[in-house]
Amino acid sequence: MRFITMDITKCVVCRNCEYACAFRQTGDFNRDDSNIRVEYHDDVKICLPQTCMHCDDAWCLEICPAAAIYRNESTGAIEIISDRCAGCKMCILACPFGNIHFDKINLVSRKCNLCQGEPNCVSFCISGALQYTTDQNSYQNNREIFQRFIENLSSVNH
Amino acid sequence: MGDASGKKDHYTSLCRMCDNRCGINVYVEDGTIVEITGLKEHKWNRGRLCVKGRLAVDLVNAPDRIKKPLKRINGQFEEISLDQAYDEIAEKIKQVQATWGERAMSVWKGEALGFLTQEDLYRRFIHAIGSPNYFSNDSACYVGRWLGYALVTGDWATQDFANSKCALIWASNPPYSQPNLTQSILNGREKDGKLIVIDVRLSAIARQADEFVQVLPGTDGALAHGIARQLIEEDTIDHTFIDDFTIGFTSYSRYVNQFTPERVERETGVPAETIIHIAREIGRCRPKVSVYAGNGLEHHENGINNVRAIACLDGLLGSLDQEGGNFTAEKPGLKDLTLYRDKPLRHLDPIGADSYPVLYDFRKECHSISAIDTILTGKPYPLRGMILSGANPALTNPNSKKVIRALKALDLFVVRDLFMTETAELADYVLPAATFLEHPELHCHPIHQIISLSKEIVTFPGCDNEYIFLKKLAARLGAGSSFPWKDRETLNDWLLEGTGITIEKLLDHPEGYQYKPRRYRKYLEEGLPTPSGKFEFASRYLKDYGYPELPEYIPPTYMSAPNPDFPYILVTGARKVFYTHGRNRNFKRCRTAIPNPDIEMHPVDARKIGVETGDIVTVTSTVGSVDIPVKVVTPANILPGVTQVTHGWKESNINLLTPDDRNDPIDGFPLMKSVEISITPKVKS
Repeated sequence: MRFITMDITKCVVCRNCEYACAFRQTGDFNRDDSNIRVEYHDDVKICLPQTCMHCDDAWCLEICPAAAIYRNESTGAIEIISDRCAGCKMCILACPFGNIHFDKINLVSRKCNLCQGEPNCVSFCISGALQYTTDQNSYQNNREIFQRFIENLSSVNH
Repeated sequence: MGDASGKKDHYTSLCRMCDNRCGINVYVEDGTIVEITGLKEHKWNRGRLCVKGRLAVDLVNAPDRIKKPLKRINGQFEEISLDQAYDEIAEKIKQVQATWGERAMSVWKGEALGFLTQEDLYRRFIHAIGSPNYFSNDSACYVGRWLGYALVTGDWATQDFANSKCALIWASNPPYSQPNLTQSILNGREKDGKLIVIDVRLSAIARQADEFVQVLPGTDGALAHGIARQLIEEDTIDHTFIDDFTIGFTSYSRYVNQFTPERVERETGVPAETIIHIAREIGRCRPKVSVYAGNGLEHHENGINNVRAIACLDGLLGSLDQEGGNFTAEKPGLKDLTLYRDKPLRHLDPIGADSYPVLYDFRKECHSISAIDTILTGKPYPLRGMILSGANPALTNPNSKKVIRALKALDLFVVRDLFMTETAELADYVLPAATFLEHPELHCHPIHQIISLSKEIVTFPGCDNEYIFLKKLAARLGAGSSFPWKDRETLNDWLLEGTGITIEKLLDHPEGYQYKPRRYRKYLEEGLPTPSGKFEFASRYLKDYGYPELPEYIPPTYMSAPNPDFPYILVTGARKVFYTHGRNRNFKRCRTAIPNPDIEMHPVDARKIGVETGDIVTVTSTVGSVDIPVKVVTPANILPGVTQVTHGWKESNINLLTPDDRNDPIDGFPLMKSVEISITPKVKS
């Protein structure tokens, strides 16, 4: 399956992803409605986009007492069925990454559902930090980057 | 939005919400544009789009769009028919020209409606009716950098970031101003390149910089000279290029020798070790060093020479027109719509051409700030009428109060725009216009040497595109022969004549059609388009006009002659992703994300003044005053003593403070990014 990978060497915290996600959910640009969040620590200059990783062994899915969370067979995304959600927030407690938030108006939990296979955040990521890719591609890509990094280290010796 | 279950027509086109011009998919349902996404195949943006691109749906369907001509009658706007509007405007143009002379009429072009073809159409029109007075946003933006480079190399190259070993982003913030450059910069960096960002603030791109160099506003020329001196001293320069293809190196290297790291530290605030270190990085990566000079360099009293100083680095590094360096793109060779050859009208004294001859010589740009003075004083001659299209100088030119006074004083002021802007409110006639989704236009992306076609996807009755408007008006003024093409499509065919490119080819290539493959180091065969044919560290052309021939550095006035009544420095113009200059404030959604203007300040300054984020302060310069909320940023973001306000907000219009009489002497660009101000608290929030 494909999921959203986040490259912290490319994120510039423009937050286009947050706005694009919020817009897709609500038609407005309130960052509270976004299922992807970008944090920035400017003293150490770390840019950290974070969104649901659609875990193989999803704790949110396991814990939901209303069985409102399931895996979408075609995209592989872990999704919340809002109509079944009781608003108990157990999933929010369960997710170790804090990738589920609570919709205070509709009183249900909200999370990324990969936009039926065309994630909006990825389309609107202008720096290319977000990619919608398979884990195999991501692994290969990261290994290549690391190899180049090692080569560069050994060549810069003058 | 979201899943495409409804029946939708699909078009490919290009976005014009800013100047990046990304490839887009446009979806139409029942004649209405309902969705816009990034076009995956387009070579420029490769499917990525910023939120503004999506907001074009709001733009084209906006309920507050002007759809009928408005005429000011007894101080109120009343709707009239399009024919009546064009008839009356033509009559009044004739009156103005009969009473005050043909050159009393002028045009002023902005960027809200179209781009390069639009510019040439207005140049053509104004000359066709006998006046040389073409004004545009370019006498306060972009051309400063273009000239700074052209005075050295004859042109302004693009940046081959994708192949670069060292990307130097200087006074620019691509994620918000040129979003696609962000992709290229970071892809290049991924291949073990280096990213150096030089700016007064910690911008979005600076967050990814390997080196973030924070400078005091307006001191970039000194830093560039300091880097140059270090490169020369360590001999990390391209001797072959310097010896064979440049002039003036001896006097230039003698001049920059005074910019020792210690001196540059005093001038710029950048530590001496940092200057040495980045010069070493840049020297090591030569010639694959790509430098992007941003708008942040232009708006200073010494702006041009600051840009020239940076442009000179290409000569030392040998990076001009190199792979991974600053690549000089070739043009597709479109036909020239302007009349400068057939009807130059130089003898009619285009406004500003005497004060800023370099601006006029190179770009045929009249000086918009001088236009304001001319309207008000009648000197050197009366300027009484203006047609203004897609621009908002009442909000975005310096010294707004004076601009408003001048535009009100015109005998005939016609504004074409999509919305009732602050400038349109001053007009005698306001005419509806067409968005970029309503007419076909040719777009070039020089870095890939591709040309693309944007499309007429929807139209609204009465919203003529720029060509049709000028054609109809010209016909009423006896200048119809200058606008012979039936429509915009026929015009596009004509523009492409002789290039071997046809509209059919462009339709077959929505990803962009490459008109020429890249060639590097063209100067080996063709020389450079400078007076000497070479890279000019020293400019004889400038010397002949009485300017220094070297890019001499002059410190900004706030440093050389500080005014104790105005102890802080104001930078303006930092971009925001939702807004382009004065545009998009009328979209409610944008206000959810970025609801109001603010003045960014360092915590030390906020404490000194006694304010916190949200408090209102009164900001004052020698020109004027404005109230604005405070935003205290983190210490890493901005230097103490320096503040930033983004322009284009009518509720806190920072151009009430910017001066129009402290311009760069060579290109006439206004001082907008190192203005002396005082700040006092107004109200506790």
